[in-house]
Amino acid sequence: MYSNTDTNNKRTLASSTVGGERYEVKRHHGTKYPHLLNFYSVPPTEEITIDEFESFAFDRLQVLKALEGAILRNKSEDDVKKYLEETSNKWLPLHSNESSKAYLVQEERRKDHISHFILRLAYSRTEELRNWFLKYECALFKLRFLRENPTEKQAFLNDENMRWKSLNQAEKKLMKEELNACSIPITTDGEFCDLFEIDFEKVPDLVARRAVYLKEGKAYVPVTQQLSLVMYEFRQRLAKALELASKSFITLRNERIMPMLDEIIKQYDGRTQTSNYSVINNPIADNLVDHFPLCMQHLYQNLCENHHLKHYARIQFNLFLKGIGLTVEESLAFWKKSFSKVDEDKFQRDYAYNIRHNYGVEGKRQDYKPLNCMSLITKHRPNSGEIHGCPFREFSQPNLKAKLVQMGVRNDEHIREILNLAEEEHYQVACTKYFEITKGLLDKNNDSIIIETIEHPNEYLNASVLLEKNRKKMSNKDK
Amino acid sequence: MANFLGESYMDIDDPEVHEDNDVDMIIESSSNKEDDKERNFWKGSTNAKPDKFEIEEGSLELLRVFYKRFFPYKTYCYWLNYSIDPMDKPFQNREFNFVKPGDDEVYMRYLSFDTIEEFKNEVLRVCPKKIDIGAVFTAKPKEKKSLKLSALKPVEKELIFDIDMNDYDEFRTCCSGATICEKCWQLIAVAIKILDSALREDFGFKYLLWVYSGRRGVHCWVCDERARKLSDDERKSIASYLGVIKGGAQQNKKVHLYKNSLHPSLTRAHKIIEEYFERVILEDQEVLKDEREWTKVLECIPDDGVRRRLDDDWRKNSSRHSTEKWDNLLAELESSTKMTKNQKKADSLRVCKIEIMLQYLYPRLDEAVSTKMIHLLKSPFCVHPSTGRVCVPIIPEECENFNPMVVPTISSLYNEINDYDRSHVKNDGERSLHDYEKTSLSPYIKYFDKFVQSILKETLAKNKAAMQMSMEF
Ligand code: SF4
Ligand SMILES: [Zn+2]
Repeated sequence: MYSNTDTNNKRTLASSTVGGERYEVKRHHGTKYPHLLNFYSVPPTEEITIDEFESFAFDRLQVLKALEGAILRNKSEDDVKKYLEETSNKWLPLHSNESSKAYLVQEERRKDHISHFILRLAYSRTEELRNWFLKYECALFKLRFLRENPTEKQAFLNDENMRWKSLNQAEKKLMKEELNACSIPITTDGEFCDLFEIDFEKVPDLVARRAVYLKEGKAYVPVTQQLSLVMYEFRQRLAKALELASKSFITLRNERIMPMLDEIIKQYDGRTQTSNYSVINNPIADNLVDHFPLCMQHLYQNLCENHHLKHYARIQFNLFLKGIGLTVEESLAFWKKSFSKVDEDKFQRDYAYNIRHNYGVEGKRQDYKPLNCMSLITKHRPNSGEIHGCPFREFSQPNLKAKLVQMGVRNDEHIREILNLAEEEHYQVACTKYFEITKGLLDKNNDSIIIETIEHPNEYLNASVLLEKNRKKMSNKDK
Repeated sequence: MANFLGESYMDIDDPEVHEDNDVDMIIESSSNKEDDKERNFWKGSTNAKPDKFEIEEGSLELLRVFYKRFFPYKTYCYWLNYSIDPMDKPFQNREFNFVKPGDDEVYMRYLSFDTIEEFKNEVLRVCPKKIDIGAVFTAKPKEKKSLKLSALKPVEKELIFDIDMNDYDEFRTCCSGATICEKCWQLIAVAIKILDSALREDFGFKYLLWVYSGRRGVHCWVCDERARKLSDDERKSIASYLGVIKGGAQQNKKVHLYKNSLHPSLTRAHKIIEEYFERVILEDQEVLKDEREWTKVLECIPDDGVRRRLDDDWRKNSSRHSTEKWDNLLAELESSTKMTKNQKKADSLRVCKIEIMLQYLYPRLDEAVSTKMIHLLKSPFCVHPSTGRVCVPIIPEECENFNPMVVPTISSLYNEINDYDRSHVKNDGERSLHDYEKTSLSPYIKYFDKFVQSILKETLAKNKAAMQMSMEF
């Protein structure tokens, strides 16, 4: 696995990552790393010190975690970019070729290369770890790709042999109308821009958005959408490499490296432990319902009326309960009681599994976090007949108005404000406004707490509970 | 933000969602008398005779006869094997679920079978009131207990779609609940036409098996190899491509077209819809008949003035027919488009007509069914437990003329075969007929045979080519 050469601190990583095979590192233009971007298809073969091993891994992890944090907090793409720039410069700086004079780009790229492979190995161990690593490595690559200048990008793609079948003018003419309808960009000389013919499976995100023309299984992808293709390639390759690494991991029994890899993974575990949104300990009591955000009120009301919730609504509400602090047993008891029309057998068969699954005690044993507003707003939009999601987004204006009135918002000005925000697609801001209005934060100056934009239903609940506590305290003092 | 990661997909990845729409529906419509009546099929009709037990036994007996004499075991197993004998992985590693006969839904999960015989014997033994088909796994699902969790992974399954009348209930006026008539069947028929053409022309799929669900919906099984191999993410992208109707029970406007130009797939859908909109939506469903109905349509128009003018006009002339009101609406949209100086507004008014048309007739798909490889779906040729109808294939080109009310039921088949046997004496030398050939089930089975043959031929040709290739090397 590694060779004990001159000093006992030198280690080589290469053979451990690819099950015993050695690769020659490609050399271009006399340098080892001609590009900032890297598909990481070739493992490093050089020897590194234990110190480097640890610090490289740690530094890259900081970047990936920062990225995760920014994405989970739903920062805008620009914010994420800026944030990444800062953390990268601190932990894992990487500069383009133009600036090569001022920086040690070869050193930077070596660190990038090696640290990727250390983490790849460490994170290959379980499916959950693999998925996490894949997700944030893709995000990192994407941001770097976007930041790199076009000539460099093209040079990189050429070296990686990323070429696709492109259409000639005659072929484009044949589907002129369809291409126009798909808003394929036109170049200055009035022709369509370069267009690739690609199996539709390779551009799932473009297909999902109906952003490409599809014909008999082929997608016609404009050069402007190249990113999708590159990301697909990156993701596929890395996913496959992780699978492979996971297999060689089993055979890897090295008493020096294993503890270090364990150490790296521990840092990841620390992350999952932090999902503690709870300030309340007793199971759901009816007076707690007043603190629910509108989305959860809506589900709860429906549940009380119909003694049933559909699949996604159940997940949404169940994870919310989990966030409140209900244990899996308490949660099961709650659902059992609420699904009063369902007999025990059916309950166990059709629902109990999924409820336990949300708690990570079934199936993949993944500890799911309560869903935040952004996932509720963007993912799994309800189909007809379904009631989950964020009401500020999913309700039509008249229905939202009716709901607001029902919930006690009576002031026309307030109603208009909320409706406008919702219509302009500022759902979370609308929700925050709703909070301020219903909690009387706007008209009472004595406890004018300024709350931040609601990002999470459990955060809404916690803020509401806290507010009530503080007010009670205040009024006790007053007496 | 999800898009930002290049994957607009889910965090909640539920490996075993054994969610059953029918189950959901039963709970939600348990107050619905129609539904109760239908559900009593196993007990005979609602004007039940006192001796309930015997009747129950009776329909179970009918089901047994069906499985014994009519179920096309051989073709069915060849289909799922994607090749003729011997049975191989695609069949042997395929998950089946049976629901035992009887009032309570007792599931038998993780079944799998090594041979046609084994499958047939188990069906005859259990006499399931429902058979579900799941994915093909890396190992035999029946050996689940002795396998490591990681050894049982789904590897392929047909791409499936589920269209249910349930999703049209918000505007369906001819029927409600579990009932269905020729008028509302047309809603499903148009959905079939649109989805069928999109799957063939856009995605290049060829082997599409459409199956009546036995009550008020249809399923589509896309059997091409390429479709079977799709990952969940790829399935999600297709479902999203075809997911034009968005928005839940609290949103009336469910179609939003952002651009001026219509995607070619939607242009084709729109062309199909134009053929049917007037008859199906305006004449049959009369969606502009009274205020409650027309308000839903008006809510799709992004302009207060237009909405108000139409509403006022129709209140005064509410007896006007839906087709005429639709003409009013179009005229109003057109003149307002011309009048407005706001380009954005003009665009949104211009596409509004198409949005409304799509909203009413574009297929309403249950996305969850299509996006998960492991999702189970009711098998073709089983019998709907509440109607007794056989889940027969539908020929997409003739879907308009398909009449769900005359689909063979297990009791009609029983009568047909008895009548036939009573009145026919076999002549010498005459070929003996299969039982199904003596009944109205015959055309459906023949169609299924042909369908399966065409797939088998292709796999055969592919294997031959592969063989030849390897020989040459
Ligand atoms: S913004 Fe968030 S908390 Fe508020 S209703 Fe929507 S999803 Fe719920
Ligand atoms: Zn009808």
